[in-house]
Amino acid sequence: MNIRDNPALQDRLAAEYVLGTLRHGARRRFERWLLDDAALRRTTAEWHERLMPLAELTAAAAPRPQVWRHIEHQLGLRRAARWWPSWQGDALAWWRALGLAAGAVAAALALVIGIGLTDTATINAVATLTDAQSQTALVLTADRRNKLLTVRMVGQAAVASDKTLQLWAVSRQGKPRSLGLLAGQGALQLALTEQAIGADVALLAVSLEPKGGSPDPNGPTGPILYKGSWVKLV
Amino acid sequence: MFVRASRRSRQRFLLRCAVPSEPNPLDPAYLRHQLQLVARRDAAAFRRLYDATSSKLFGLATRILIKRELAEEVLQDSFIAIWNSAASYQSHLAAPMTWMSTIVRNKAFDFRRRADDMVELDADRFDGALVDAAEDSGPGPADALQLSNDARALALCMDTLEGMHRQAIGLAFFHDLSHSEVAQQLTLPIGTVKTWIRRGLARLKTCLARQEQS
Repeated sequence: MNIRDNPALQDRLAAEYVLGTLRHGARRRFERWLLDDAALRRTTAEWHERLMPLAELTAAAAPRPQVWRHIEHQLGLRRAARWWPSWQGDALAWWRALGLAAGAVAAALALVIGIGLTDTATINAVATLTDAQSQTALVLTADRRNKLLTVRMVGQAAVASDKTLQLWAVSRQGKPRSLGLLAGQGALQLALTEQAIGADVALLAVSLEPKGGSPDPNGPTGPILYKGSWVKLV
Repeated sequence: MFVRASRRSRQRFLLRCAVPSEPNPLDPAYLRHQLQLVARRDAAAFRRLYDATSSKLFGLATRILIKRELAEEVLQDSFIAIWNSAASYQSHLAAPMTWMSTIVRNKAFDFRRRADDMVELDADRFDGALVDAAEDSGPGPADALQLSNDARALALCMDTLEGMHRQAIGLAFFHDLSHSEVAQQLTLPIGTVKTWIRRGLARLKTCLARQEQS
């Protein structure tokens, strides 16, 4: 069957595909046509827009509150939202909230090796910062000899044009110090000073802030997107 | 088995659709903005998106799965998928409610296929979508307002179909039924059902195009 020259048939099949009545072999055949026919894809998308609002023509009903709690719990949103304030009053609380596995450190080292450092660099400390889903987002390495802190984004963070990412060093006492603003991708080197990352730093974190950085010099104002412990290697 | 909407109830429904007096929480621009924020891992926006759409999407999941526990499980899975794939949402390809409804519908169908015997279809629920929305005694005008403009237009066009055509389309759409399954439910020959569905869809297309022009 040649449907390419038969727009009426194309239209009918696309409608039945979206409705769900196109079944079995006919459905699979249609999906194969979709792959290499942009016009058919467009026709199908149009039927999608036409018919999917049927879904809204049902009576609304409120789900029980535990549904949201489960979603929040499963995505780790509650922890992310409460994390920053929770340790400010109790310096130990964030240690508990952190719960980083040794695996993360191993992953950091693997990545460091992959990054391709020069012979002269000496890595004294590393951190892998992960998001709420425990996906590694940034790798940081400290080179004390050259006094450099290298920050690499593993992927790409989608940051709105009016926002920026800000990197923080958090001391064992729970006091954050800004290390600087980050681009949403690529690598960046910052000066490594005792003042910025001293011996008492236990944790690095990245928050989402208004353009230009946190308006509060004492700490982040936006949500913490990534965090990870600062692991000294020597 | 079939409940035909009375002329009066249809008029009531259309009237309710026609008089929005407060901001529509399903406004596509609002939802699109929240989705963009969710793509950037904004948990507060995710909550706003949930507040705006969860009851509508839960209504859909319940319509498909009947049992509340199953519908809640599907809603939960769907919102996790929405959080995880918000970055891939392309606003030029689909309206936000279309995108989210598709996720919920697909997940609910998957669920039903896995646990087919668990879900007993209730024949009384089988009348066309519009009739259901019009006849439900519970929701008042506020519920009718919870329709995007797309859905409002579609409701008006569904109303122009013959009751049985509308019912056949509703059965296929909400219950994942094939032509032969629809025919079985309606105790009609499969050829008749095929023709009705085809005509119904063609009529919807013409009606929606006309509405878009006006």
